[in-house]
Amino acid sequence: MTLFDRVFGGNDAVYGLTEGAIDGAIAQYGEDKAVSFPNTAYSLPCYYAVTGTKVTTLKELKEALGVVKTLMTREKRLNDAFMSGVATALCAEFIEVLKYIDGATPYEEPCYGHLADAVIRELGVPLVTGDIPGVAVILGAAPTTEEGVALVKSYQAQGILVTLVGGIIDQVAEAGMKTGANVRVIPLGKDVTAVIHVVSVALRAALIFGNVKPGDAGTLMKYTMDRVPAFVNAFKPLDDVIVACGAGAIALGFPVVTNETENIFRVPKSLIVQEDVSKFNATSLEARDIKIKITNIDIPVAFASAFEGEIIRRKDMQVEFDGSRVDCAELVQTCDASEIEDHKITVVGPEVDDMELGSKNSIAYVVKVAGKNMQADFEPVIERKFHNYINCIEGVYHTGQRDMQRIRISIEAFNAGFKIKHIGEVLYASVKNEFDAVVDKCEVVIYTDPAECTRIRHEVAIPTFDKRDERLDTLTDESVDVYYSCILCQAFSPSHVCVVTPERLGLCGAVSWLDAKATHQLDPNGPCQIITKERPIDENLGSYEDVDEAVQKFSQGALEHVTLYSIMQDPMTSCGCFECICGIEPFSNGVVIANREYAGMTPLGMTFPEMASMTGGGVQTPGFMGHGKHFISSKKFMKAEGGIERIVWMPKELKEFVAERLNKTAQELYGIENFTDMIGDETVAEDPETLVAFLTEKGHPALGMDPMM
Amino acid sequence: MPFNQKPQKFNAKINAVTIGSGDKTVTIGGENSFPFYTFDAPTENTAKIGVEISDLGLDEFSEGVKAYYEGATTMAEIAQKAAAIEGADFVALILDGGDPNGANKSIEELIEVVKEVAGAIDCPLVVEGCKNVEKDAELLPKVAEVLQGRNALLLSEKEENYKAIGAAAGLAYNQIVGAESAVDINLAKQLNVVTTQLGVDAKKIVMNIGSAAAGYGYEYVVSTMDRIKGAALGQSDNMLQMPIITPVSAETWAVKEATASEADMPEWGSADERGIDMEVMTAAADLAAGSDAVILRHPESVKTISKLIKALA
Amino acid sequence: MALNGIQIFKLTPKKNCKECGCPTCMAFSMKVAQGAMQIEQCPHMSDEALASLSEATAPPMKTIKIGTGDAEFTLGGETVLFRHEKTFVSKPRYAVSLCTCMDDAEVDAKLAAIPHVDYDRIGERMHVELVYVNCSADADAAKYTALVEKAKGLGRTLVLGCTDPEIAKAALEVCKDGKPVLNGANADNYEAMNAVATEAGVVLGVSGKDLNELYDTVAALEKLGNKNLVLDTTGADIKETFANTVQVRRAALKDQDRTFGYPSIVNLVKLAKGDYHLQAALASVFTMKYGSIIVMEQMTYAEALPLFGLRQNVYTDPQKPMKVEPGIYPLNGADENSLVVTTVDFALTYFVVSGELERSGVPLNLVINDAGGLSVLTSWAAGKFSSTSISEYIKEEVEPKVKCRKLVIPGKVAVLKGDLEAKLPGWEIIVGPREAVQLVKFLKDMQA
Repeated sequence: MTLFDRVFGGNDAVYGLTEGAIDGAIAQYGEDKAVSFPNTAYSLPCYYAVTGTKVTTLKELKEALGVVKTLMTREKRLNDAFMSGVATALCAEFIEVLKYIDGATPYEEPCYGHLADAVIRELGVPLVTGDIPGVAVILGAAPTTEEGVALVKSYQAQGILVTLVGGIIDQVAEAGMKTGANVRVIPLGKDVTAVIHVVSVALRAALIFGNVKPGDAGTLMKYTMDRVPAFVNAFKPLDDVIVACGAGAIALGFPVVTNETENIFRVPKSLIVQEDVSKFNATSLEARDIKIKITNIDIPVAFASAFEGEIIRRKDMQVEFDGSRVDCAELVQTCDASEIEDHKITVVGPEVDDMELGSKNSIAYVVKVAGKNMQADFEPVIERKFHNYINCIEGVYHTGQRDMQRIRISIEAFNAGFKIKHIGEVLYASVKNEFDAVVDKCEVVIYTDPAECTRIRHEVAIPTFDKRDERLDTLTDESVDVYYSCILCQAFSPSHVCVVTPERLGLCGAVSWLDAKATHQLDPNGPCQIITKERPIDENLGSYEDVDEAVQKFSQGALEHVTLYSIMQDPMTSCGCFECICGIEPFSNGVVIANREYAGMTPLGMTFPEMASMTGGGVQTPGFMGHGKHFISSKKFMKAEGGIERIVWMPKELKEFVAERLNKTAQELYGIENFTDMIGDETVAEDPETLVAFLTEKGHPALGMDPMM
Repeated sequence: MPFNQKPQKFNAKINAVTIGSGDKTVTIGGENSFPFYTFDAPTENTAKIGVEISDLGLDEFSEGVKAYYEGATTMAEIAQKAAAIEGADFVALILDGGDPNGANKSIEELIEVVKEVAGAIDCPLVVEGCKNVEKDAELLPKVAEVLQGRNALLLSEKEENYKAIGAAAGLAYNQIVGAESAVDINLAKQLNVVTTQLGVDAKKIVMNIGSAAAGYGYEYVVSTMDRIKGAALGQSDNMLQMPIITPVSAETWAVKEATASEADMPEWGSADERGIDMEVMTAAADLAAGSDAVILRHPESVKTISKLIKALA
Repeated sequence: MALNGIQIFKLTPKKNCKECGCPTCMAFSMKVAQGAMQIEQCPHMSDEALASLSEATAPPMKTIKIGTGDAEFTLGGETVLFRHEKTFVSKPRYAVSLCTCMDDAEVDAKLAAIPHVDYDRIGERMHVELVYVNCSADADAAKYTALVEKAKGLGRTLVLGCTDPEIAKAALEVCKDGKPVLNGANADNYEAMNAVATEAGVVLGVSGKDLNELYDTVAALEKLGNKNLVLDTTGADIKETFANTVQVRRAALKDQDRTFGYPSIVNLVKLAKGDYHLQAALASVFTMKYGSIIVMEQMTYAEALPLFGLRQNVYTDPQKPMKVEPGIYPLNGADENSLVVTTVDFALTYFVVSGELERSGVPLNLVINDAGGLSVLTSWAAGKFSSTSISEYIKEEVEPKVKCRKLVIPGKVAVLKGDLEAKLPGWEIIVGPREAVQLVKFLKDMQA
């Protein structure tokens, strides 16, 4: 037998039963007898939602059954199976509605049967907000009462709404567990057809919350698939009817997890066999992509930003870990979901208890993450937050990063019961909460065994860091498909838009292309948006139609054109956060750069604040541009005007700060050694005449270049 | 040679949103020009005025306001008197008492107040939460539920609780969603984007872009409104075309200029008069910058702003 | 279209002679482009360059100066219609109106009331800068001149509202040294009024029965060589006045119609007609939208407090946030033993924080030091609100004056706690809430 046979068979069986039941009812009551569910404005909600037709009498019900029959096509195609599943569900609704004839109350405590519209409106809000992260439909009897109850409780603890159909209801009752809408465990009914009452909830939610038009079955199914986080747990044995119902669930986007192994056909992400009932929860959540918010971090000390600035002094310290003396490392590793057990925290090596008071130890923690949207580029972004997370622990202090971190745990925290594993708890919870858009699963391994730390540091961490640095070095504007906008500063500089590219970080110096990319992924409606670069106008200037359109949009029309590589033609605007400003120095045919910290005069005859006053505020001032310090050594620095060769003057401090990288770029681009020696500073000149004399003496290349204006 | 008049025509317009049900409704927005620029385009819907009342009764109000409400003891009576003020278009009930750091009234208690007020008046109703995001996330859905059929405007959903309030008010119970952000065009837009992504109809959203009393960082309010209207009309940005409501009184009656007693500041003169002028001037500035509705407290302020709106219509 | 600094630089002599006061021609050019200097300030500019530049760099709206000495004010010179585009540069000035139609008692009462409002707000003196002296139709030169004389006694810059050239001439005799405005030219009398104003060397106010007439009269006056004008945009009613005022400004700035490139006078006395609250609302509207001189019947504290606050806000430079003076601000009757709380000098932060602190009723010393006028996180990120800057200020200014050794810092800079403890021995550093609204509860909890 194939899965198709089972679905079709189950469907036919239910259809037959339904037809019989309706005919029987007509015989008993006459075909004008009214049929309805109580307390709903949606007639027979499932049938109404799918077809847009309201059924009010037995006669109409019979006609509706004819419509259902048309869904029951028998080609062995996936769609036929799905539609037969839907048909089975609709038949179930018909059978159920017959139970309510003459205002009967077919369901008794603890079973609910049909749920009123009011309940759906009430449950719908927490469903939309994610306060109810999912809806579990448990069908049949668990292998044992204990297993069944444990499963229900596991969902309940996660805030998931649990609906029960069949044998599980008795099991839960037997265990004395409280049920009801208020505790979010709702027994529907013992017949398998009672499952329709939860389907009815999902479909009415689509009508009420999704504004789906009744009869628009395509949109309906898309809504339940995208927005109703329901799934089915069906216990063995599964008969054909249940399999047919399951097909209906799958059609709505609800995966089915079962422990049945006989005569079953696995469908990835949809029909999943999980023999171990204790793993139903994890399997279901993963299949339906449900993430549980962590509201409480289970550690014996407080966790709050108020502790961020706490410093643990030596005398108050229980133990410390010091990357500058012994092997340490902190690392985020992207793994495949199958390699990770969510929320597993492992400590390899001694715990704090085993360490001597005041001792210096090794530590290396590897936070393994997996997620459909996770990219290796986000690893350093997540990693950089470790400092902040660990510092927020009361009595724990963290500085540094990569393999140079230092951590201290205070005596007080130790006495309160703080352990190494709690660092893992904090990292787990913080990463899951803050990066939930990209991290689906997270596991933490903390090594305190010195040999293991050495291995992790040298064989895992350092090679990873090297690889990342290499990627950063090779990441060029040409090597990526998109740039990002950043409008974080618009609050005080309304028309400013930063275009962040790999070789040009935000002018505040704080937002790199990778940061912007991660920000976009984590907050798709946030300040960083994708800018495509498919329609170049002039590659040398770095002007693109796409970029122009983006800056027009994000500046609300205040800006029309921006070039990425020119300071003379439509230079990028500045908000006022810039680390540095470069400005054209006409007498030497080059540019002067001043950094924010520099208080003196420049050869332009302007100080940094004077230059800032004409460059900031989102205005374009040809000849002047704000930028970050690291941009100075970029190969894209005013590339259109000839690049870094144009730099004729910088404050001494800034020059020293950028010297190594700048000289390297000059070497690569022009073969000039020690380029910074040719660049003036305040000790050489603060006026153009002296500067030109100096440049002439040094043979600065800018003097011989094409005029800038 | 006469003056060459160049009207500024926009192809886009602000959404017109109707609040209330039955015979008594008000419509705000709908304009396709800057505020009061009747020389560019005729006024679509004049700006509207709401009268603020609070579940805390009259205790926190100034003497002049108390004098007006004299004799009103129940919330129903207070609401009726508020609705009767000359120039009032709607009543805005603020559930201040829900603030966990203040009176911390239970949700049940507050819902009773909402029911009492809703039952006492038939004019359009705006209900504002207690401003605590967690409490409002529980409170406002309940308010939305008991006001089914009233087509009330609920203030405010914020970035932190937009799902609960947006879903309840905008989806489950068919009210108007008031989206509040903190005086920043991008935050305002982002909130509208996520609210509509929730499924809420963009035409059922009214923005509160944040406010301030004159002199208290008011420049941010001006520029945010200027930019929002500019983007909504000039750039046809449909995520900024929601009309703007500004709760003026809550800000203006809290600043020193309005609260300082005459005993403390004898040279400043009548406290009530200071409160009125602070309220009137801030409201007038809000309207000139782009508010489509303002919420005021003092009957004299309501009357004055109503005159101003009529004079400029 | 305005020229940018580079375009201007190309036309300079490039001698770096420094005679204009700038160290280089480049610096000079950038300042001219910004409107901070006039092209004529370069002594070596060729006539040719001057001619081409002065037209191109001339601002779309004239800058008009009125008054003298401390009472000198600059009107107009705006370049944008919305403050976020750049900055509004010349604040509107408020005038209280006197009239020959008032009896002596009324005039004396007004003259006595005007100086009453005079106070400081964030480093700016707030007072009624101007007095409008209106000449009613039935008044003669003697009566009007007497009133002008009386008004002059206040030492405020005058605006004479008078359409009779003879009477105006007489009145100017007694007050022209104070550089008043003569508001009275119209289509019928502009030639005579022009002569009077030009002779006295004062700014002339022009009005018209509608915008077309106003436009033509201005054009006619310009033809007579007078570009020292303000435009009285007051119309028959509120709606017309608003339409006039906005359209005049918009024509000048958006449509580059220089005939309307002058500051405005809006006379609320004619619009509010004794309704003081309506007048308050109108004063606010015209402060927002393009009034340069706003004439009112009165200015009480109730009106001044919000109005001057609004003006101060609207006319701040969007790039240069308002700052409060560093210092120790005792609140709620604090003394030397009261708790110390600190935040940044950004005016908005200061107002919000001090408001909440006052609401708490807890006596405390609010310490403000120079944090560059930025918000807490921004100034922290810029290194201007650091453990060093805070601790130095506390040591130098606070320790000698305050005995309490408990310091509350904003929750957003909790990260400074450890450093501050190290740099301020003997102090207990307490991390406050992240948002000002949580201060009341925080302080109450602390007291408990």
